[in-house]
Amino acid sequence: MLRFLVRRSLGAIVIILLISAITFFLFFALPSEPALMSCGKNCTPDALAVINKNLGLDQPVPVQYWHYMQGIFMGRDFTVGHCPAPCFGYSFSNQQPVWGTIVDRFPTTLSITLGGAAVFLVVGVGIGMIAAAFRGTWIDKFFSSLSLVGGALQIYFVGVIALAVLVSGLHWMDNPAYHPITEDPVKWFTGMLIPWLVLSIIFIANYSRMTRSQMVEQLGEDHVRTARAKGLGRRTVFFRYAWRGALAPIVTIFGIDLGSLFGGAIITEFTFSLHGLGRLAVSSVSETDLPTLMAVMLVGCTAIVVANIVVDAAYAVIDPRVRLA
Amino acid sequence: MTPRTRSPRRRARLAATALAAGALVLSACSSGGGGSGGDKDSGPGDDKTTASNYSIGTKADSTGPAPEVPGAKKGGAVGVLQRDAFNHLDPGQIYYADVLANQMLYNRSLTSYKVDDKGKVKVVGDLATDAGTASDGGKTWKFTLKDGLKFEDGSAVTAKDVRWGIERLYAPFETDGPLYIPQWLSGDGNDFRKALPEGPYNGKHLPSSVLDTPDDKTIIFHFRQPHADTPFATAMPNIGAVKQAKDTKQKYDNAPFSSGPYKVGEYKVGKSLTLVRNEHWDPKTDPIRHQYADRFEISFGHQFADSTRRFLADQGGDKNALSFSNAVAPEMTEKVLKQAGTKARRFVEIQPYVDYISFNTDRLKDAKVRKALAYAMPNGQILQQNGGATAGVVATNYLSPAMDGYRPTDPFQKKANPAGQPEKAKALLKEAGKLGQEIVYAYANTDVQQKVSVVVTQALERAGFTVQKKEVDANTYRTAIAEVKNKFDIYRSSWGADWPVSSTVVPPLFDGRQVADGAQNYGHLKNSGVDSEIDRINAIPDVKKAAPEWQKLADKILEEDVPGVPVFYNRQFSLWGSNLGGVRYHPVYGTVDPTSVYVK
Amino acid sequence: MTATTPFLSVRDLYVRFATEDGTVKAVDGLSFELERGRTLGIVGESGSGKSVTNLAVLGLHDPRTTEIEGEILLDGQELTGAPESALEKVRGHKAAMIFQDSLTALSPYYTVGRQIAEPFRKHTGATRREARLRAVEMLKRVGIPNPALRVDDYPHQFSGGMRQRAMIAMALVCDPQLLIADEPTTALDVTVQAQILDLLKDLQQQTGSAIILITHDLGVVAHTVDELLVMYAGRAVERGTVREVLGAPRHPYTWGLLGSMPRLTSDVEEPLSPIPGAPPSLLAPPPGCPFHPRCASVAAVGGDRCRTERPELPAGRGAACHLTPERQRAIFAGQIKPRLR
Repeated sequence: MLRFLVRRSLGAIVIILLISAITFFLFFALPSEPALMSCGKNCTPDALAVINKNLGLDQPVPVQYWHYMQGIFMGRDFTVGHCPAPCFGYSFSNQQPVWGTIVDRFPTTLSITLGGAAVFLVVGVGIGMIAAAFRGTWIDKFFSSLSLVGGALQIYFVGVIALAVLVSGLHWMDNPAYHPITEDPVKWFTGMLIPWLVLSIIFIANYSRMTRSQMVEQLGEDHVRTARAKGLGRRTVFFRYAWRGALAPIVTIFGIDLGSLFGGAIITEFTFSLHGLGRLAVSSVSETDLPTLMAVMLVGCTAIVVANIVVDAAYAVIDPRVRLA
Repeated sequence: MTPRTRSPRRRARLAATALAAGALVLSACSSGGGGSGGDKDSGPGDDKTTASNYSIGTKADSTGPAPEVPGAKKGGAVGVLQRDAFNHLDPGQIYYADVLANQMLYNRSLTSYKVDDKGKVKVVGDLATDAGTASDGGKTWKFTLKDGLKFEDGSAVTAKDVRWGIERLYAPFETDGPLYIPQWLSGDGNDFRKALPEGPYNGKHLPSSVLDTPDDKTIIFHFRQPHADTPFATAMPNIGAVKQAKDTKQKYDNAPFSSGPYKVGEYKVGKSLTLVRNEHWDPKTDPIRHQYADRFEISFGHQFADSTRRFLADQGGDKNALSFSNAVAPEMTEKVLKQAGTKARRFVEIQPYVDYISFNTDRLKDAKVRKALAYAMPNGQILQQNGGATAGVVATNYLSPAMDGYRPTDPFQKKANPAGQPEKAKALLKEAGKLGQEIVYAYANTDVQQKVSVVVTQALERAGFTVQKKEVDANTYRTAIAEVKNKFDIYRSSWGADWPVSSTVVPPLFDGRQVADGAQNYGHLKNSGVDSEIDRINAIPDVKKAAPEWQKLADKILEEDVPGVPVFYNRQFSLWGSNLGGVRYHPVYGTVDPTSVYVK
Repeated sequence: MTATTPFLSVRDLYVRFATEDGTVKAVDGLSFELERGRTLGIVGESGSGKSVTNLAVLGLHDPRTTEIEGEILLDGQELTGAPESALEKVRGHKAAMIFQDSLTALSPYYTVGRQIAEPFRKHTGATRREARLRAVEMLKRVGIPNPALRVDDYPHQFSGGMRQRAMIAMALVCDPQLLIADEPTTALDVTVQAQILDLLKDLQQQTGSAIILITHDLGVVAHTVDELLVMYAGRAVERGTVREVLGAPRHPYTWGLLGSMPRLTSDVEEPLSPIPGAPPSLLAPPPGCPFHPRCASVAAVGGDRCRTERPELPAGRGAACHLTPERQRAIFAGQIKPRLR
């Protein structure tokens, strides 16, 4: 297991480095000029040159990349002062240390992701299991159609309706906002509740469908029949045998979804005026803010790669065949 | 030319996100030209902002305190919902609408704009006792600081602090703000920086022959040329006081040291900003600002639809909220106009921004062809695509109604013919022997501009042109059209005046000596007659007298040279929570003016 | 109930599945009996209803799609229509089952030991420790070397033969009085097959339980079972002691089965002679004798009887065929036996 983790981690580092290089070099293929962001209204080529020098954009791209990567591991000196490792540089658009911004935004993304994931995993898998347990009955049909409808919905649509009804119409809830859980757990929860519910709607559909079909498949498996033939109770057979078998593919998809959510839930963040990594990613692209873009990309990639490793590890825990193979 | 908010990219984003859905909705609610403001009950109403509203204030006008707002109360927190995060707090870097409005709360400049509740604007002394005294034919300007001016730590604001504030603009990191004063003092373009390459940070200072501070109260500018509109230039937020001991260079952008009624309480870059009372601010020194609310709680990331929804719902904390620059979301315009009780908490006002279609005179050499283009241009339809009557008013000449000296001249009869006059255009083309003239039309690939391109192309083809459309990536659009040797005939541009005097409009747009890559003379007009007229008007020592001259020159250029056609004057449509009072429009910044706001 | 009531008695069993295409009559009026300490072999092609029958004994069909009629008495307890809770007490305790493919029939997610111990704990209320010891003991009994160690292995760490032994251990962990072995050796190679069959026999001698051995392979039953039931299209077509049925089979279908069986003595080059045609559709079984479309003896019966009239299986030794017992014996002796060599 340890060797497996070490091997995977090394591979992950190579992948992340590769992606960082690709991102960095692709950025310079963008048809836009970062200096324009800081060039005021009466911008001239002279002024642009000054800004390019300030940003270090007058150096060759590979040199810039080397400095950037050096900064992450060893820190870096800027005219503003020393930037300790991990140094992702200073934002082109607001001259802030990027790392500080990331550290500030990540808790929001973490909250959206973990809360939303908890909701869609529990509700989605739960619905799928109920549908599977009652397969063929009206309960199954009801939940199947419900998840079909859910799957067709979009966050920006449901989100706006949820706000209009729950917040503006019925006054049941406050406007969604992020409050650190460390400061006020109740506000954190109520502030994130609508985003969680709305975000989870589209996922619930997926998870319930997948869970149902996996469960139905597992319930037809020989080993489930064996378990019944041993005299085990219906519930034991359902949860201990069928569900265990259905778990592996669900965990796989869950890991991938979780990883991509850690990179930022863009539409959710915009719909509910939240400040997570997704919004940061979008603004860094539109503002041609290379250091921020790089940092968001790296965090996102790391999240996805780590999620993949965790999924593989979880897979090994779930399925002993993988563990020892 | 340059956009009203931030960079071309931001503008493009605004256009793409905010206007996409709205254009359609609006074209349904106010069909026709979109030139008039609509009827009184449900329409957006008339603009208060008109030409006669500007003047230079007297010493008495410059003396605090600001007149009390009737019914105003102390206390409470004002929420501010903004879409884009502020790009700067450092007054040296501030140029655009949202941060201009914001800096009013914590930053004071030598002069500033005093706006009364009728929308009249006076340029008055802010840190200075008056709007300045000129001598030497307008080349030397003297300002005297008021008594009792204090920074947020209680230390006095002196002429040395103002000198520091101006000299730090020479440092290479101060690139985003307006640079009129340093350029007038030390050199055009970027050359001024050579006078003080590191700013004041290595102990060097400008010689007293350039910037003189003979005592703690006096600041004297020695410009290279006469500048009658100096009181306006010193009203830019970067001509104020920065305390040397608190100047953290780039980091000052996070922690500006306040001289105004509020100071930075907590700043989470990109997320939120809380401004709290500055106890050391003395209302008796300030003719403009109040300190009614305890706090301003500004949060970013509110799309127009989000802020509009909250203002409409008008509940809880949102009752005490406004936005400096978020407009009403176009798709919700009708709802806002129809909902009872919103009339007292909204306005639609003219902004100092104008949308143009520029004609490349290097390629379209025949003035008759350019005139034909001007006649053919469907201003009304273009405005529709941009959001209709609450987004703007059909333009009839180059200058915005928000400019001092504006007159509603209309050489191409746009008011009567918002859809253009294809027959007249065709006749002119025939006369020139250019029927079927090919026009290469460049536009940015945003939703709005794509829709605009359709109506423009149709109108031009009706008038006998052959149009070749060239779609340009929105991110590179400005750079592309700002290239002198570009391969386009016509393209959309826009310009916002830095102050309501047309010396900040006509020279950058039409001075033939300013044609360069990246510059704003997009029509590449090179008319020596125009250039010398610009110099003549610039030399008039009284801006009030210069104002009508600028209008005349602008109209002459439009009638004779036609290096482009004005399309529409932008408008700001604002809505705010019902529990706020004293919310006004700032005609110079084109935003809400927060200085008189109170919580009911 | 009289003292003569057999240990397991199946009477007029009907099993029907509702499918989208219609009702499948998987078992169509089947009766048999089995005593303790005896072994019944059930043979037939796949789809003949032999597995379905035995799943019905343990009530393992999905009640939502399955209709079961008839009477299944296990040691005097009626199992058809019994509540799930009652059936759960029977399964793995009084009656246990061994399935064909041990790779899929054992859960890959739990250790062999746990899967063996599980029914023991459930039915005897033993503690975890006791159950584990019992699992080790069972593994030892079925001949797994190093049982104390292997008890913690997962099924995929076992070889095919060991896995099958483990499954037998699992089935026998509660000392069931009835053991149903559904093709227990099909997936195994020949030498292992023999070992497994010997094991079953040994264990039966120790415990005195009754065994039902389901197979499509007559070679397997020859040395293992006492009585034999031949099934076709959901019905029993021939019944007798193993010696009777294999020595002098009476039903043409049984002749066919014997003919299609490879023998160790036969020449590899010599083609097998499978029964012509395919098993009938259970959705719409042919009228009359269900075997008649494939039967070579229809002419020997003569007339339309085979096509119209359903032959009954007589009690005791006999075959469900319209040929008279004399003709059956004559045809086997004259035409079939010589070909079987």
